[in-house]
Amino acid sequence: MTTATYDHAPAHSGGGIGAWIFTTDHKRVGILYLIGSMAAFIVAGLMAIGIRIEQFAPGESGLIQYFVGDIGKRMTTGDAYNTALYFHGAAMILGFLIPGLTGFAANYLVPTMIGAKDVAFPRINALSVWLFYCGIILALLTFVIPDKPDVMWTGYPPYSIKTAGNTALYVFTVHLIGFSSILGAVNFITTIIYMRAPGMGWNQLNMFVWSILTGLTIQLIFVPVLAAAVTLLLLDKYVGTGFFDSARGGDPLLYENLFWFYSHPAVYVIFLPAMGLVYDIVATMAKKNIFNYKAAVYGGMCGLVVISGEVWVHHLYVAGMPNWLRIGMTMTTLMISLPVGLMVLSLWGTLYKGAITYNVAMMYAGLCFVLLLFGGLTGIPLAVASMTVHFARTSFVHAHFHFIMALFAAYAVFASVYFWFPAMTGRTADNAVSKLAFWLNVIGTQLTFWPLFIIGVDGMPRRYWDYSPEVVGAVRSENWTFYHHLSTYGAAITAAGIFLMIVGWVYSAFAGAHVGRNPWGSKSLEWTHASYPIGPGNFPEEVAVSADWTPYNYAK
Amino acid sequence: MHKWPKRLLLSSLALPLASLPAMAAEKIISPTHLWNEIWQEVFYDLLLIGIPFGLAAVYMMIRYRAKSPGQVGEAVNLSPAAAWGWILIPCALFLADDLLLFGKGWTLWNVQRVVPENSVEVKVTGHQWYFDFDYGKGVTDSELVVEVGKPVVLRMTSDDVIHSFGMTEYRLKEDLIPGRITYLWFYPDKPLVTEVDCMEFCGTGHSQMATKVKALPTAEYQAWLGKHKSASAGDLKFASQSDGAASK
Amino acid sequence: MGRFSSKLGVVAIALLAVCASAGTAGAQWWRPPVSDIDPRLMYIDERGVLGNKIDPNTQLTDDRGRTFRWEEMLGKPFILVLSYYTCDGSCSAVNSALAGLLKDVKAMKPGEDFKILTVSFDRHDTQETAVAFKEHLSLPASLASAWTLATFKSEDDLKKQTERVGFKFFWSPQDKSFLHPGAFLFFSPEGKLSRVLYQQDASSRDVELALLDANLDHIRVTEVGNLLLTLCYSYNFKDGKYQLNIPLYVGVGALLFGVLTLSGSLIFYKLRRKGRVMKGANHAQMA
Repeated sequence: MTTATYDHAPAHSGGGIGAWIFTTDHKRVGILYLIGSMAAFIVAGLMAIGIRIEQFAPGESGLIQYFVGDIGKRMTTGDAYNTALYFHGAAMILGFLIPGLTGFAANYLVPTMIGAKDVAFPRINALSVWLFYCGIILALLTFVIPDKPDVMWTGYPPYSIKTAGNTALYVFTVHLIGFSSILGAVNFITTIIYMRAPGMGWNQLNMFVWSILTGLTIQLIFVPVLAAAVTLLLLDKYVGTGFFDSARGGDPLLYENLFWFYSHPAVYVIFLPAMGLVYDIVATMAKKNIFNYKAAVYGGMCGLVVISGEVWVHHLYVAGMPNWLRIGMTMTTLMISLPVGLMVLSLWGTLYKGAITYNVAMMYAGLCFVLLLFGGLTGIPLAVASMTVHFARTSFVHAHFHFIMALFAAYAVFASVYFWFPAMTGRTADNAVSKLAFWLNVIGTQLTFWPLFIIGVDGMPRRYWDYSPEVVGAVRSENWTFYHHLSTYGAAITAAGIFLMIVGWVYSAFAGAHVGRNPWGSKSLEWTHASYPIGPGNFPEEVAVSADWTPYNYAK
Repeated sequence: MHKWPKRLLLSSLALPLASLPAMAAEKIISPTHLWNEIWQEVFYDLLLIGIPFGLAAVYMMIRYRAKSPGQVGEAVNLSPAAAWGWILIPCALFLADDLLLFGKGWTLWNVQRVVPENSVEVKVTGHQWYFDFDYGKGVTDSELVVEVGKPVVLRMTSDDVIHSFGMTEYRLKEDLIPGRITYLWFYPDKPLVTEVDCMEFCGTGHSQMATKVKALPTAEYQAWLGKHKSASAGDLKFASQSDGAASK
Repeated sequence: MGRFSSKLGVVAIALLAVCASAGTAGAQWWRPPVSDIDPRLMYIDERGVLGNKIDPNTQLTDDRGRTFRWEEMLGKPFILVLSYYTCDGSCSAVNSALAGLLKDVKAMKPGEDFKILTVSFDRHDTQETAVAFKEHLSLPASLASAWTLATFKSEDDLKKQTERVGFKFFWSPQDKSFLHPGAFLFFSPEGKLSRVLYQQDASSRDVELALLDANLDHIRVTEVGNLLLTLCYSYNFKDGKYQLNIPLYVGVGALLFGVLTLSGSLIFYKLRRKGRVMKGANHAQMA
């Protein structure tokens, strides 16, 4: 295994499907990640549409069974809905967000941004994308098997042990994708630490590179905990151990703790790279240096790594934890505002005195400012244990994390695809269709999730398909129906936007307008020094940077 | 019981606010009303933070558009003092706001989690997919019936999977966990019939796992109690959860 | 095993007692007396009664003749033993067994951190029998001051309050003694029943952990060690014992694995690169 593997990886010129499957070229691995994660996104997105249709009005729609592949309608609405929720959650987080950011974006951008020819372990990189695809395929089996998993992406016991659904599928999906991301994490952390271009100091890194370094550090440390927890779950269900069976000395609450001990940090594994992408796009399009770079990197990103492991109990504010622990974690959770606040200030400050040009990527990045603000603000009451006593498990929480994860992070990924499209293909995806798709997305997502905030304050329970008068009362049922209508219309508009966006990408990849080298006028290595479009070996010549170089050094 | 508030929390975190719940002994503060009040304040706090940041973002996005192609932004390089200033001052402000929210949250928390003396105790057991209420002395019901003006404490557990007892109208909720006893108290200060929903995913019937919480005036409450007492007379099913379920 | 065997044990003791009495009474000792005893009577349905409280207004009389209300016991975790004072059979064993177990409890100090209360369920017991019984127990000084022996003031309370914690007992006329489970009932400082252990199964470690558990909502910053101790064990309802909390160890192990992978891969690559640089330097020299 050497770093010169790009020699026998026929990179972009290479032909057949085999050359893609067995590629060790980080760019191709990245594209494979993009395709796989978009596949997961599309199927999980269809589930979201199914969920929205089911929630359109109280009572059964009779349609949700079709969404989960139960054409004969042997499943009850409740079971089919739960399977749709399971797949939506698990596939969006494990199959789309984490691989989209730490698989696609990291693979494509990290080596090119630091002036490396490939990642440190190219073959491990190939293995990690294979494992990822195996995980996706395993997850997709949900639609084929009769005992569809229905344990939500959290898989809480004792339900996940008692259910007739196939919990093993959930567990193995987590294992495969988790293992894949551990390999990815080892690879990128090593790459960033040891393979930077000569002369490139820590304060000259792209924000995205920093965000991957910090985000994957979290991933590497915490993923084994999740893997351990779900493995014990598997043993409980199929081998008959009692690790989480309270009757036999186990405790279901311990699973919840282990799960969130990983899964809260996992939010930052998604949030940090998304933030990094937005930073890089904004700085380039505003032709501006990052405001207070060191504060954002060392205080913000590294600070978030430090704090990420001390806040998980806020997911368990109403789950019977000791009172003092809940109030203690209220304080640590509120302290998240410090690193995030530093990043927000730095991001906002980057606009100051800039010279902003709006392409589609920058439009999405601008949208991300708004999404980050709304998602972050609505997280503040959720940090406070006593406020959360009402908000927990309502659609307020649901809307909050969709603003950060589903919207902020997903649109950061989409923005990055638009932004680096020319580097990948030599063509641009920036056209009228993509702008139309953008506005559909803006209107659609806001219309989908604001109603959920409103009914969430009024107590709309999460993971409910029925909100009939006998379940939630006549007044609430009637009020909520209106908001659920709005939300479903919003989802339909978003779906149209996403459809146009993806069609636009595919069209542009083969027939989009050619653009010249470095169309956005960036100072970053992947535009200035790499071959265009980025080809085998990335850089025609060895890259070295001077001490006063930074990727954001626009003004003289 | 009255000694509890002071020891409830880690003593090192002691703030002056810790003395507030002492008031609870004199007059019952409804966690429901206090939640509503504090949510109002928190909401204004969110606006206070959100509006400047939102306006700043929109303003800068419009104000700093490039006037000509190829224009570059003006580099903003901070002196070390300014850089530290941009770290310490915002952090101090955020921290101040955190402490403010923490104080508010703690005040509410002490009301929510410190059960008033002489609360009426009801045992709640969650099943897939219904709740079961044991009022003691052999009285059980599938609905939660309480008397107006008397604080109620629920001792909760689950028979099968994790459930959650969510009383939206009372702004309260807590999980029901097999093998553990959790608690929740509320103050029904006016006659009200509302719903309690299961708020933790529990399977096929999760979204229909609901029942009524009825806060009845004393006369009606006594009538209900009388009816149930006679129904279970001579039946010694004391505190036995499985027996309680059978009464459905 | 465990809890089940404890039940069996209790039943076996009961059966032996009945058999013995039947034999001494010269009755038909060969008749299996199984049908006489419902084994369910002998154990407490722990999951059904956890969280229950004794009526705070219950009046008790202690071994000094002082009348006190149940409420006055609250404020610290305490262990309740339901027993009777005029026997020389199993009841004395319950109390002395607890005394024996408490000797090895280190995390909490009797009197300072917790109390012990024995209440008689025999309506014939009085202050005098309690005093006599305490003498018979001959507790060490540290325990004697923390241990109250009491009787219910009213017979009505005796019946109701023992029922509240699911405690069942009956008088066996043949052998002139009570049959009852040898149970330790752990109460939190607020008076909630938080754990039930049995004389037959409990070890000192179990008693210690049950006391810490009862006090978990009131744990102080200085008691981090105790907190960790409670985390290391989890309670097994089936066996009525505490056992190692394996998932936690696995979780911590997984976390360490993550940290090691991080540091290990960095060190590995650093060493490998060092090697390559050396080799590269050699090549350059040769060229």
